[in-house]
Amino acid sequence: MLNVAGEPPGDSWGIFAFLCAALCNLPAVPALNGTEELGAGQSIQKTYDLTRYLEHQLRTLAGTYLNYLGPPFNEPDFNPPRLARAEQVPSATVDLDLWRGLTDNARLAANYRAYSRLLCYLRGLDGQAGTAELRHRLGHFCSSLQGLVVSIAGVMSSLGYPLPAGPAGPPPPPGAPAAPNDFLKKMDDFWLLKELQTWLWRSAKDFNRLKKKVPPAVVTLRLEARGF
Amino acid sequence: MNTAPQTGLVLPELAGRAPEPSTSRAAEGCAIFIYIYIYFFFFPPATSFFFYFLAADPAVISPQDPTLLIGSSLTATCTVSADFHLRAEDLYWTLNGRRLPAASYAALGPTTLSVALARLNGSKQQSGDNLVCHSRDGGILAGSCLYVGLPPEKPVNISCWSKNMKDLTCKWAPGTEGETFLHTNYTLKYKLRWYGRDNTCQEYHTAGPYSCHIPKDLALFTPYEIWVEASNRLGVAVSDVVMLDILDVVTTDPPADVHVSRVGDLEDQLSVRWSSPPALKDFLFQAKYQIQYRVEDSSEWKVVDDVGNQTSCRLAGLRPGTVYFVQVRCNPFGIYGSKKAGIWSDWSNPTAASTPRSERAAGGCDPKGGEQNTTLRRELKQFFGWVKKHAYGCSNLSIKLYDQWRVWLQKSHKTRNQVLPGDKL
Repeated sequence: MLNVAGEPPGDSWGIFAFLCAALCNLPAVPALNGTEELGAGQSIQKTYDLTRYLEHQLRTLAGTYLNYLGPPFNEPDFNPPRLARAEQVPSATVDLDLWRGLTDNARLAANYRAYSRLLCYLRGLDGQAGTAELRHRLGHFCSSLQGLVVSIAGVMSSLGYPLPAGPAGPPPPPGAPAAPNDFLKKMDDFWLLKELQTWLWRSAKDFNRLKKKVPPAVVTLRLEARGF
Repeated sequence: MNTAPQTGLVLPELAGRAPEPSTSRAAEGCAIFIYIYIYFFFFPPATSFFFYFLAADPAVISPQDPTLLIGSSLTATCTVSADFHLRAEDLYWTLNGRRLPAASYAALGPTTLSVALARLNGSKQQSGDNLVCHSRDGGILAGSCLYVGLPPEKPVNISCWSKNMKDLTCKWAPGTEGETFLHTNYTLKYKLRWYGRDNTCQEYHTAGPYSCHIPKDLALFTPYEIWVEASNRLGVAVSDVVMLDILDVVTTDPPADVHVSRVGDLEDQLSVRWSSPPALKDFLFQAKYQIQYRVEDSSEWKVVDDVGNQTSCRLAGLRPGTVYFVQVRCNPFGIYGSKKAGIWSDWSNPTAASTPRSERAAGGCDPKGGEQNTTLRRELKQFFGWVKKHAYGCSNLSIKLYDQWRVWLQKSHKTRNQVLPGDKL
């Protein structure tokens, strides 16, 4: 990579390109042995794209599902109380300063855990819900969300972070009932979709930021590893 | 990101702005979350009930999630829990988002308000009508889902078909429209007539909302009993049993390789050729075919019914110089000696062809004919010249005679053409 003597012209261009990248925050693509850097960058880009895709799908899916739940759930200003039971769904409402203050690793891990649990709850949505078309859309969305969980894991491993242990934090506790009556189940479903939407919106911003951060950070790591 | 979601969900920007007024709420939420986590992680399930009582519901509605017949009446009560310090006068009801008139309310106690609903209509959505008890400021205290509908009636009009004897698809119609208010589950069942074991069809909605597909393990030459069971929250209904043998309801793919071509220069005919559906080539059956055709800009199909079991047919009486669309379909009746008519296949994809334009009857200005005759005429002229020189007799033979013959020919052009088809046939 960064050999001292007898280096072919390509490598000296590489040094120059790295310096430019470090200064100008541009990825030094051609000259460096960039397979891992490219891998992380691409991974993040794909995860970002997938997040945006899911956001878009969710708008249609949520609209249809809330129509199935019926008014007032599908009214634009509907904002029911969040009962204690509903706290089990990972809340997307956090202090933004606190959130931005986390390390990349912690943020990615939080995303990974949240989506794993959201996926579990989503799969528990009414299996008999509405039309075959709604069920089909739900199934497709679940598969795509599963893809997002895997994608985040891919980003974490390409950046060298360890995966959070287990599929997701504690599984839905066996003691507490899923929802004691149909109306409360509807409220749970509403909150699930709402939190999912906020999570996806924020994750897109996270991945966008991460995308811009990655190349110099990774190059620095590699240089340090080689003792330069 | 600034576009509002078209749902009842809060705009992301609002969620982002939330920290300001609800930072303490968020902190509370976090605290509760951690609390739950610790409880469920470290303590056995029995303790979770303790936690459940800590966060009791604000109110209780009775009846909770009832199932009712259309037209029935209901009196529901909302009892607020003591912790909330609300009285019956502070409450109101909504049904599917619309406020119910206060005239239908009655206070049954200091913390209990009832509402009377009469002559209920079928549920607005299959997930149940949302009857909600609110506090004065609009907050939701409790809710109940009302399932109002009719018990199912016997499903009717069961019809089945088998594609190439490999499978069976059946469809039916629901007994009444009332079944759409509640979620009605349909199960198609079948059994061999004298064998006794009920089987259930698994693949639904393959040919419309009320259909099911049985992909394998079907016996031929023996009758099946088939019926549909409809069930919802209000009851169960079973259709009449339909008895059939797979071989009597066979259908197949449309005929393959449909080709339509002109018949020589004939202006009013087209020849249609196709091949027998390949899936049934190994089976003994008599196919019947039907052809339908129409003119390009018309939507009226003409059907040719008496095609029999040939794989070609000639359409006659067509308009010259017109584009026609032609389709063919097949009925595999008499398969394995079955006496019943099979089921017509789908029509093949339309094939187009055009009939030749008619030649102009007024002779003379026929360039094609003229070209042909120029060479012929020249040769004939040479021939007659030679005959005059070398043959004795036939001296009247000359090119003039030939010209007269040509004129006679064009005068009788139409007659000549009408004769020719008869010759060819």
